[in-house]
Amino acid sequence: MKNFQQNLAKLEAADTQVLGVSMDSPFANKAFADQIGVTFPLLSDWGGDVTHKYGIYVDKYKAARRVNFLIGKDGKILEEQIDKDAIDPTKIVDACQRPKMKN
Amino acid sequence: MVLCARLSVEQQAKAATPVGLKLGDVAPDFKLQYFDGTDLKDVSLSDYHGKKNVVLAFYVFAFTGG
Repeated sequence: MKNFQQNLAKLEAADTQVLGVSMDSPFANKAFADQIGVTFPLLSDWGGDVTHKYGIYVDKYKAARRVNFLIGKDGKILEEQIDKDAIDPTKIVDACQRPKMKN
Repeated sequence: MVLCARLSVEQQAKAATPVGLKLGDVAPDFKLQYFDGTDLKDVSLSDYHGKKNVVLAFYVFAFTGG
C-alpha cells in the first residue's frame, strides 16, 4: 500500500482512484492506513464476498492474495499484478500514464 | 478456424493468469465500506464508471508488510 501512496500524485494526475481491499474490518484498516500513512480508502471485504468474486481467495490463509487490478473507465481490466509481482506497482503506474488512459 | 481456436486456447493456457479474471474482462461490481475516522462510507466500483480508472489493490492482512 505504501508503494501506491508514493505514486498517488502520479496516479491521481492520470485520473486514477486507488482503493485498497482486504478482509479486515473497516476499523482495523483505518488504523493500518494511519500507521503507514495511506490516504486513499482501504475497503473492508468482511466475509470475503468480493475476494471470492475476483477469484483470489486463498483457503489456506482465509484471506486474499496480493493482487493489483487496473480497471479502465469502461470497467474492463487493463493490467494485473499477482503475488510478488504486485509489490512494485510500476507497471500499473506506467500504464495509467499512457496517453489513452487520460481520456 | 478450429485450429486457430485450439491454438488460442493453448496460448491462453500457457499464459494463464492464476487469478480468475483476465485482461479485458469486465471487473465485477461491488459495494464495500471503509472507515474515514468518523463514518463508514460506501464505495462501489460503478461509482467510477466513465469517470476514473481504478486501481484495486488487494492485500492479505492489515499490519503485515506495506
